[in-house]
Amino acid sequence: MKMNRLSYSKTTLFFTLLWLFASGISPGQQTTLNYSKYHQPDEINASLVRLAKQYGQVARMHDLALSPGKRKLVILEIGNEVNSVDKKWPAVFVAGNMEGIVPISSEAAVYLADLILSDKSHYDGLTWYIMPCGNPDAAMHYFKRPLVKDARNDLQHNDDLDELTDEDGWNDLNGDGWITRMRVKDPEGIWVPVESDTRLMRKADYSKGEKGIYKLYDEGIDDDRDGKFYEDGPGGVNVGINFPHLFKAFTPTGGLWPGSVDESYKLMKFISDHPEIAMTFTLGSTNFCLVPPKGGRKGSVDLNKIKIPERFAEMFDADPDKSYSMSEIIEMVKPIVPEGFEVTESVVAGFLGLGAVVNPMKEDLVFYKDFSEKYKKYLKEKGAEIDRLDPEPAKNGSFELWSYYHLGLPTFTMDFWTLPKVKEKKEKKNGLTSDQLKKMSDEEFLALEKDKIEAYLKGVGAPKQFQVDMVINMVKGGRMTPAKIAEMADKMKDDKKPEAGKPDPKMKALVTFSDSVINGKGYVNWSSYNHPTLGEVEIGGPVPFTDNTPPATMIDSLLSLQVPWIFEIVKKLPDLKILKTELKLQGAGVYELKVWVENKSFIPIPTAIGKRNQRPPPVLIILSGRDFELLSGKNRTTISDLPGLKNKKFTWLIKSEKGNVINIELKAVNARGDMKQIKIGGGK
Amino acid sequence: MKKLLKNIAILTVVLLLSVNGYSQSDDIKVPLRFDHYYTYDQVVQALKVLHKAYPDLTKLEVVGKSEENREIYALTINNPKTGEELSKPGVYVDGNIHGNEIQASEVCLYFLNTLLTKYGNNEKITKLVDKNAYYVIPVVNVDGRCHFFTDANTSSSNRGLRRPKDDDRDGLFDEDFPDDLDGDGNICRMRKKDPFGKYKTDPEDPRLMIRVKPGEKGEWTRLGQEGIDNDGDGRVNEDSEGYVDPNRNWGFNWAPQYVQGGAGDYPLSGVGLKGIADFIMQKPNIIIGYAFHNSGGMFLRGPSTKSQGKFHPKDIEVMDYLGKNNEKIVPGYRYLISWKDLYSTYGDFGDFLDNIIGAYTFVGELFMSSTETYRDPEQKTEEEDDMFRGSSNERNREKLKYNDHVAMGELYKEWKEYDHPTYGKIEIGGWVKMSSRLPHPFMLQDLVHRNASAVIFSAEQTPEVEMEVFEVKKIDKNLSRVRIRLVNDKAMPSISYHSVQKKAYPKDILKLSGQGIKIISGGQLTDNYRDKVNYKEYKPEVQFCQVPGFGKVEYQFLVSGKGNLVIEYESMKAGKIKKQVKL
Repeated sequence: MKMNRLSYSKTTLFFTLLWLFASGISPGQQTTLNYSKYHQPDEINASLVRLAKQYGQVARMHDLALSPGKRKLVILEIGNEVNSVDKKWPAVFVAGNMEGIVPISSEAAVYLADLILSDKSHYDGLTWYIMPCGNPDAAMHYFKRPLVKDARNDLQHNDDLDELTDEDGWNDLNGDGWITRMRVKDPEGIWVPVESDTRLMRKADYSKGEKGIYKLYDEGIDDDRDGKFYEDGPGGVNVGINFPHLFKAFTPTGGLWPGSVDESYKLMKFISDHPEIAMTFTLGSTNFCLVPPKGGRKGSVDLNKIKIPERFAEMFDADPDKSYSMSEIIEMVKPIVPEGFEVTESVVAGFLGLGAVVNPMKEDLVFYKDFSEKYKKYLKEKGAEIDRLDPEPAKNGSFELWSYYHLGLPTFTMDFWTLPKVKEKKEKKNGLTSDQLKKMSDEEFLALEKDKIEAYLKGVGAPKQFQVDMVINMVKGGRMTPAKIAEMADKMKDDKKPEAGKPDPKMKALVTFSDSVINGKGYVNWSSYNHPTLGEVEIGGPVPFTDNTPPATMIDSLLSLQVPWIFEIVKKLPDLKILKTELKLQGAGVYELKVWVENKSFIPIPTAIGKRNQRPPPVLIILSGRDFELLSGKNRTTISDLPGLKNKKFTWLIKSEKGNVINIELKAVNARGDMKQIKIGGGK
Repeated sequence: MKKLLKNIAILTVVLLLSVNGYSQSDDIKVPLRFDHYYTYDQVVQALKVLHKAYPDLTKLEVVGKSEENREIYALTINNPKTGEELSKPGVYVDGNIHGNEIQASEVCLYFLNTLLTKYGNNEKITKLVDKNAYYVIPVVNVDGRCHFFTDANTSSSNRGLRRPKDDDRDGLFDEDFPDDLDGDGNICRMRKKDPFGKYKTDPEDPRLMIRVKPGEKGEWTRLGQEGIDNDGDGRVNEDSEGYVDPNRNWGFNWAPQYVQGGAGDYPLSGVGLKGIADFIMQKPNIIIGYAFHNSGGMFLRGPSTKSQGKFHPKDIEVMDYLGKNNEKIVPGYRYLISWKDLYSTYGDFGDFLDNIIGAYTFVGELFMSSTETYRDPEQKTEEEDDMFRGSSNERNREKLKYNDHVAMGELYKEWKEYDHPTYGKIEIGGWVKMSSRLPHPFMLQDLVHRNASAVIFSAEQTPEVEMEVFEVKKIDKNLSRVRIRLVNDKAMPSISYHSVQKKAYPKDILKLSGQGIKIISGGQLTDNYRDKVNYKEYKPEVQFCQVPGFGKVEYQFLVSGKGNLVIEYESMKAGKIKKQVKL
C-alpha cells in the first residue's frame, strides 16, 4: 500500500503536541469533572447536580425534558436570583452539544459552569442557564461500541419506508469496535485510490478518461435483504436541526416539524418563558466568535431595493415599477396611518409580505466582525495560533440560527477543535491573499498587476464569468471593493465540494493527524473481508469522531484557552444608562423634561434582526411619581432601538407643582437598566 | 366583592342570551337540539350525554388543557364490532379554533348527533359508522368559546389564544381590552357628533352613517370599538387578548410573528393545540379532515401558501370531486384554494393535517351573511361575495331591515348617548356580538345539517379496498402464477399521492407467505394481456403499493411450493385484508 505521508508545518505540529500533552490549565479551583476524559450524558448531568448542591444559594437545576431514550435534558441556572421567578437581571443561555455528536462541547458547558461559580463577579447582575447536552441519546453513541457518529435521537423512524422500522443499521463486521467504510471493486464504481496515499479515496475524473474502480458503503450487511446497507439504522431525529429557522420538511433526520420532539420543543418553551435571556451561546461545531455568521442565501429581500406591489403602490402614491428603500417607504406610510400608530420597519415588512430574513443583517455583522478580530488577537496572545480547518457553517434548522433570526438575540457559537490544516505543498510566494485584499484600498487594488489579480481569482476557483477585467472595472466604478471580492472568494472556497480527481482535504487532514499525532488510531487501513452478499471487500477508513473530537488529554488545555472568551463577549451585553436629564421651566408650572439615554456597550439593543422581527422585549422609559400631569409624551415610552455606544434624547412636557419628585426608569427585561429621580424646581 | 359583581354580570349576560334564544339553560338530552348555541360547558355536557347514551360506540377523552386550564374534549366514534379504530379510515372533524367562530362547534355536535342517533335506523349512516373511525373535537379554542359567551365582544373579537402578548410593546400584557361601557354584553361602536367629521347620517336609515362628499358638511366622527384608554397611553383598545392565532401556530410551514401575524413564539406554543397535535399523531389512520370556521360560505383546500407548490394532480382530482360535491350540498358555498383565492397563511392547521398526517383537508367557512335578506321578490339576486363585499350602504340598509323584520331587532343595538371619559358626549351602538358572522338560531338547523352532510359525503368516500385473487395458474409442476387485484370503489386512494411523493409515510404493504412456499418473483402487473410486470428486485414477497381512488392495482407473483398461500394487505389508512389460496 502506497502511503506518501502528508505533514504539518512545524508550528502546527508543535502546538498540536503541546495541547496533546499539556497538563492542562484548570479553571483554578476544584473542578467538577476530571477533564482528561469524556463523560457520558448522565455523568455530565450528575456533575451539574453536584455543583447545584455545592452552590445551593446561587445554583439550581431545571429538568427540561426526557429524550425518547429516557435520558434527561437538564439546565443549570446560576445567579443571585435563582429563587425568583421574575428576574431583574439579564441572562445568558448556553446550549451544549445540540447535535449530540460533539462530546467536547458538553465538557465545555460543565467547564464553563465551574468557571462561573469559581468567581462571583461572573454572576454579579447576571443569570446563566447552562444546558450541557441538547441531544443526550445521540451523545451516548460516543460511549458505546461499536463506535458510530450518528446525530439521531432514539425515536424510532422507518427511514426506508418499508415494512420494518430501524431494522438495518450498522454492523461491525471486522469486530474492531468502529463503524468505518467498505470498498468493493465494482464495474459501476466511481471511486479510485489517491495516488499519493492509497488509503484515501477520490472520485474518478471522467473528464480525463479515468474510470472508477470501487464502490463505497458504510460497514454493514443487508440485514433486511432489500439490497441496501445501513439504510434504516436505529434512531429518528437530529435534535440539533429541529428548530424553525430554515427548517426543511420531509428530510431523513430533521423531524416532522420544528419542535416535533420534546428536546427541541421544551427548549423553545423554556427560552420563550424566560424573556430575560439576552444572549445565547451554542457550543458545538460552529464558531460565530471566530467566523461571523454567513450570508449569501437566496430569498432575502434587500431593504434598499423594495418593490411595492401595485395594490399598495396606489395607496402610497408610489410607482410599482420603481424600487424604494425601507426608510423611504416608512415616510410614505406615515401620513396614511392613524395618529399615534408607529410605523416601523417591522410593520412595513409585515404588510408588504417581505418574508423571512435569511441573511445576517449588515448592522449586526459589525459587532460579529469586531469580536472575531479581537478573538483572533486573543488567541494569538495566548500563543494558540494553530492553523486548523474551518469550523462548520451553521445548519438550516439549527438552534443558533433560530436564536439569531427568530429570537433576535446576539448569538454566539464556539467549536473547540477541528483537525489541524495540512501544510500546502505549493505555497505560492508573493501571491495575493484574501487577508491582504481585505485591508486594501480601491487605489491599492487598482495599482496591482493584472496577472496577480487573475492568479488570485483562479486560485480561489472563481467562476469563469468572473473575469479579471470585469472585477477591475467594478472596483473602478465603485460597485465592488477589494474587501468584498475577498469575502466572495472566501465564500466560494467554503462552498467548494471535493472535486473529481482530488481527494477531500478534510480526509487529508484526518490521516495526517492520525499518523502524526495519535499513532494511526484515527484511520483504519483497508483490510480484506469476506462479505456475505458483496463477496470480497475491504474494510477501512476514518474512525468515527476523529474529525471533531480531540484526544481526551487535550480537553483541559483546549477549554482553558477558549471557554474564558465567553466572559469577554458577555461583558459586552447591552448596558443601559440614563446619561443626563434636563428640566426647563416653560412657564405656569409647565416644564420640558429631556432625558438622554445611552447604551454603554458595543452590542445594540435590540440587534438589527431583533428590530426587524420585534421579538426581543422592548426597552422603556417609565415616568412615575405623584401629582404630575403629562402634557405631551407618554409615561411608558418605548425605545425602538439603542445602538451600541450611542445615545438618544427623549422629551416630555410636564405640568407639576414645584417640589414634586418624578422617577425616571430606563428598563428592559433583558438588559441592565437605570433609574434617576428629578425634583421639580430643583434641589434634592 | 369585585368577583361577585363579575359573576352577577356573567349571569346577567347568560340570562339575556337565553332569553334571546341564543343559548339554552335546560338539561341537555339526546337527541341534541340545534335551535340555539351551546356554551362551552353545554358542549361538554352534550358530549357527555352522547357518550353516556352510546357507550359502546363512543370514547370521550380530554386531549389537552388550554392556557386557562379548560379541558379540550374529543369524542371518538368507532364500532368495535367492525374492527379497531386504527384499522379503519379515520375521519377528523373539529371546530371553533377561533374563539368567536362558535357555530363550528354546533356543526360538530350535529355531525356526532346524526351518526349516533341514526345508527341502526338509517342504512346509510349505519354503514358509515361501521366503516370509519370518527374523531371529533367540537371546540378547539375552549377559552375562546368560553370568553365569547361570557364577555362582551364584537362578532369578530376574541379569536385568539389566551397567551398574553404585549401587542403595543409597552412592557404590559393584554392591558387595554375593549370595554363594555354600557354593560349590554356587546362591544359595539362609538361615534361622536362632529361638524368636521367624515360621516353624516344616512337619510334612508338614520342608524347608518355614510361618508360625506367633498364640500359636504360632516356630522359624525367614528371612534372605533367601544372602550376607554385603560392604560392611559393615548390609545384605545390596542392590547386585548393575545394575540396568538391558533390557526397560525401549527408546525408545518410555520413562520415567525414578523412574517405571519399571530404565529406565536414557536410552533405549537399553544398548550391546547399541542395536546390536540399529540392526539392526532396517535391517529395515523386519519385520511379526511374538516376544520370548521366562520364565515363567508367556503370550502377551502390547501396549500395555504404559494411557495409550497401545487398539490399532486391526482390529489387535486380527489379534492375537486369532494369540493364540488360540497358546493352542491351547501348552496352558495364555494370550493376554493386557500392561498390563491383567499390569502396566504403560515402555520395553518389544514397544511399540518395534509402534510404531517397525509389527509385531505377542508376548511369550512360557515355562514353567508348574504342569506340575511329583506328583498323584493322581483329584485335580482346579486352575486354576493361575503368576504369582500357586503358592506355597501345599500346592503347595510337591507341587513338592518332584515334585523328589524326577520331577526326581531336582536342583531342591532340602537345608538344611545354615553358620557365617555376622554371623548365626552358620544353615542354607542351598532351590530351586536351574536350578529354578522353568526346565523340567527332560526337558520342554524339548516347550516349544521347541510355542512354535516358535506362531511358525511366525504366520509363515504374514504377508501374501501377489496382484494381479489383473480388468477392462480399452474405454470409448472411446482410453480404457480398468482395474480392479485386490489380494488377501491371510493374517491380517496389508500394513501395520498402527496404522502407518497414526499416519502412521508410507508405505502401499503402486500405480503405473501406460506408454509413450504417461496415467492420467486413478484411485482406490479402493468399489462395483464402482455404479461408486463415491474418485478421488484429484492424481497418479492413484500410489495409496497397504493390503491388509487375509483380504481385498482394489480400484482403478479411467481410462487413455488404447495399448500396455503397467505396474502395480507395492510394500509395505514385503508385497513387490513387477509386471504388464503390453496396452491
